[in-house]
Amino acid sequence: MKEDQSAVFDDMEAWQTSFMNEAFAVMKRAAALPFLPEKVERVRKGVTPREIVYEEDRLRVYRYIGEKPPRYKTPLCLTFALVNRPYIMDLKEGRSVVAHFVNGGHDTYLIDWGTPTRAERFLTTDDYVNGYMMNVVNFLRERSGEDKVNMLGYCMGGTLSTIFTALHQNLVKNLILLTTGIDYSSKEGLISVWTDPRYFDVDKFVDTMGNIPADFLQSAFLMLKPIQNLIAKPINLLENVDNEKFLEDFLYMETWLNDNIPVPGEVYREFAKYLFQQNLLTQNKMPVGRHTVDLRKITCPILNLMARNDDLVPVCQSEILNDLVSSKDKESIIWPAGHIGLAVGGKAQKDLWPRVVEWLSKRSN
Amino acid sequence: MDDNLAKTFEQAAALQKLWSDSFEKMTHVWSQFSPGSPPVEEARKMRSGMLNVMAQSLDEFMRTPQFLEMMKSTMDGAMQLKGMTREGLHKMQDQFEIPHKEDLDGVLLALRHVERRLLERIEDLEGSMSVLDKRAAETNKELERIDERIGDLKSAAVPVKSSSSTTDVAPAAKGPDQPKKTTTKAAAPKGRKKPQ
Repeated sequence: MKEDQSAVFDDMEAWQTSFMNEAFAVMKRAAALPFLPEKVERVRKGVTPREIVYEEDRLRVYRYIGEKPPRYKTPLCLTFALVNRPYIMDLKEGRSVVAHFVNGGHDTYLIDWGTPTRAERFLTTDDYVNGYMMNVVNFLRERSGEDKVNMLGYCMGGTLSTIFTALHQNLVKNLILLTTGIDYSSKEGLISVWTDPRYFDVDKFVDTMGNIPADFLQSAFLMLKPIQNLIAKPINLLENVDNEKFLEDFLYMETWLNDNIPVPGEVYREFAKYLFQQNLLTQNKMPVGRHTVDLRKITCPILNLMARNDDLVPVCQSEILNDLVSSKDKESIIWPAGHIGLAVGGKAQKDLWPRVVEWLSKRSN
Repeated sequence: MDDNLAKTFEQAAALQKLWSDSFEKMTHVWSQFSPGSPPVEEARKMRSGMLNVMAQSLDEFMRTPQFLEMMKSTMDGAMQLKGMTREGLHKMQDQFEIPHKEDLDGVLLALRHVERRLLERIEDLEGSMSVLDKRAAETNKELERIDERIGDLKSAAVPVKSSSSTTDVAPAAKGPDQPKKTTTKAAAPKGRKKPQ
């Protein structure tokens, strides 16, 4: 009897202690809340020193400046998606893909597509690949004196880089791809399900909207994981608002995630129709202007990086690429991370990116 | 009308299934509650379990034809509304003789077509140029070969001459290098440039 009573008292004491601890923690968090806006203002977009070396319409090319001059002559051109801003590649200290390449001795450049206006409404994939990308690559070749450039494409930028390489293999020395959608036959990703032509009339949508608004794209991304994004994430923030390290990472990441830009209507139409709905890239039938993309024409070394927990571009959409190209030197890495974690995650920064830099260094002049 | 009603019922049934499935799975989460553990930790565990269940159920629901049908009708409605608003605005803008979005889009599209035609023409010209370049290179090589043959023939002719002549061409007999010199001078291919 006495033992039972003491067990009940022990339980009650544990409950009381737990409630008290939680009450103190809540007060501590509440005290940290007023400083949140100030911390939001301190978020920087990109950390590595850089200079603008090329401009065309809204496009800008940044060259990153390292402490030492580059060791490799072949320039490295980073290409990001048209959906978000590219500073995710250089998010913050200790979370920068760019810094790895710059410190590894590579002459590193990044394409910033800029924010399209209604004037860019009719720009097509052809304009981006055979126009802008071609001009940037020619500029880099001239600047470096090299015949070829190294390319790194992330997400939709990876698809653009793959298309560019297939059309102009003679200009690309090495190709690195991060979470790049190639095969859209699988319905594992929700976006592939939602863009089913039976339920999504892309022509009507683009004709009505013109450029695809950033808000629409942002909502679609949020809806991929609505519970995590709309409920779990704010709760997580409130519970860690007094944790400086967590808060800094969270604010940097959220600033970028909410910094969407509109996508030119025609590019959206082509991507939705030719890739998501008709899956033409894997069939070597995707039209880009007057050309047709044939992945078999890719012969350069390829490093294909995929994220195992990617909800935007599942592994099954990327891994097929290595079987479709003619390259002999090709490698795939499936990393335990999400779509963004692959670039800026702590483990990827520590273990993956040094490996990627080494891979590129071995194959560069 | 019947079809619409049937669709509505199907969608309602899908939603109901989503919630009943979620609650069923949540009961599993709730059954793991242990009163002996600190309540805050337990509450967190419950919350995380419930959110996981809801996320899983929603992911399944967002793949159902009912959800996709709802998405389609919502988007169709939104686009129709946008179209109607635009039409009303156009009428007003026409009255005031103000250019509207479609006018600007039309101008941009016309510019794009001109630009596209020019670019295609340039691309065609580039193609023709590269074909011409190739042909010129081939012709140049052919000319070089002809020059070499002429040179060879001339050099072959020199010793015949030298045998009949006197001191002037005596070096020809000195060694094998001499005829080559003559060939070079005779062929004189320096002025011909390879096409870029």
